[in-house]
Amino acid sequence: MVRKRRPGALLLLLGVVAAVVFVLLRSLGDASLFFYEVPEAVELRSELGDDRFRVVGTPQPGLVEGELGGEAAVVFTLCAGDVLADVVHLGDPAELFQPGVPVVLQGTWRAGRPPSLTGLDGAADDGWFLRTDHMVVKHDNDYRSDGAQLTLCGTVD
Amino acid sequence: MAGPDKRRDGTGSRGSRLLGAGALVSVAALIVLAFVATDADVRTHPTTGEEFGQFDAVRMLYLHVPLAVLMYVAFVVCAVASAGVLLRRTAWWDVTAYAAAEVGTVLCGLVLVTGSIWGRPVWNTWWEWGDVRLMTTLVLFLLFVGYLALRRTTTDPRLQARRAAVVALVAVLDIPLINRSVVWWENRTLHQQSTLAELKIEDLTLFTLMFGFLAFGLVAWWLLVHRFRVGWLEQAATDYDVAIALAERRFETSATDLDAAIGRRDNREDPV
Repeated sequence: MVRKRRPGALLLLLGVVAAVVFVLLRSLGDASLFFYEVPEAVELRSELGDDRFRVVGTPQPGLVEGELGGEAAVVFTLCAGDVLADVVHLGDPAELFQPGVPVVLQGTWRAGRPPSLTGLDGAADDGWFLRTDHMVVKHDNDYRSDGAQLTLCGTVD
Repeated sequence: MAGPDKRRDGTGSRGSRLLGAGALVSVAALIVLAFVATDADVRTHPTTGEEFGQFDAVRMLYLHVPLAVLMYVAFVVCAVASAGVLLRRTAWWDVTAYAAAEVGTVLCGLVLVTGSIWGRPVWNTWWEWGDVRLMTTLVLFLLFVGYLALRRTTTDPRLQARRAAVVALVAVLDIPLINRSVVWWENRTLHQQSTLAELKIEDLTLFTLMFGFLAFGLVAWWLLVHRFRVGWLEQAATDYDVAIALAERRFETSATDLDAAIGRRDNREDPV
């Protein structure tokens, strides 16, 4: 029996292989940790330098919303356990952003005091702040009416 | 005795029609439960009184989670049948594997789409490159698209079945990675951990989620039954074509032999 080759299907298969390679390369491009916890980000501050990185933490209550350089901005303090980091996030925050709901932010460390810091309660105020421009919310998996709580600095309130 | 021809024209049967009707009714009921009967996820902070939660976006839970679990089931069925192909080498296993792979790929595509639609309001992103659960699911989808493409690169059914079986058995290894990724790489994924494993769901919300498994389970089963029957008919048609081709070849051979024989006889009778 003569085996027939189908060039169209072969091209499709090559396309799929190329897509898998593309996906793997995109993943490997982010092969460093997807995000640091706040204590890790603070500890690695000098190593991270001007590198962009992702950090996960819980916004504290008492955030300040305003404008910086004509762009929407929100200033708040991120926490995990008892470690704090002040944040200036440029751009509109996520729809479900609010104190107590963990977020993953992407940006860089900046030396200095963030603007509007005086409006914050319990800010880190350690001479550094995170300047971020990408925010995603890390939601919990609890759908019980009284199950999920807002997390404040690693503690369940 | 002459009578109406009761042979089936298509892939339907009384059982599959009942199954299809059950699937349709269940999906309609699921839509009512998910989008009307259940409440939005709005929780109130006990001390500050602030509202938080996923609000109406939570309704995607009732579609996304059942589709994901049934996708696992379809691909596992494909893998088991693929092992059957390699061990038994019969068409039944191959047709089953092919049907399950197609249904699983459709479900996997729907999982990616519903996840993306859910992620936009809840996570604030349609897609996150580098998120381990999202990436491993996308890789699984691409592997099975590759499986389906591979099946069409040759017309030799035995070669097609063997190659596809090997690909399916490799691709299915991605499923434990997807399932456990939220635990093994907790700091590499935005994706929440399993709700059902920790039973962090209750009352009508839990019932609706379970009903989602039933509704989409019936749909997947119906699709699988029909795709299997189509595959079986294709197999029968191929066998029939092969039988015809063999018969024709035998006839050609016989005629040639006959001609040769006649020629030899003619030569004997009338030597020049």
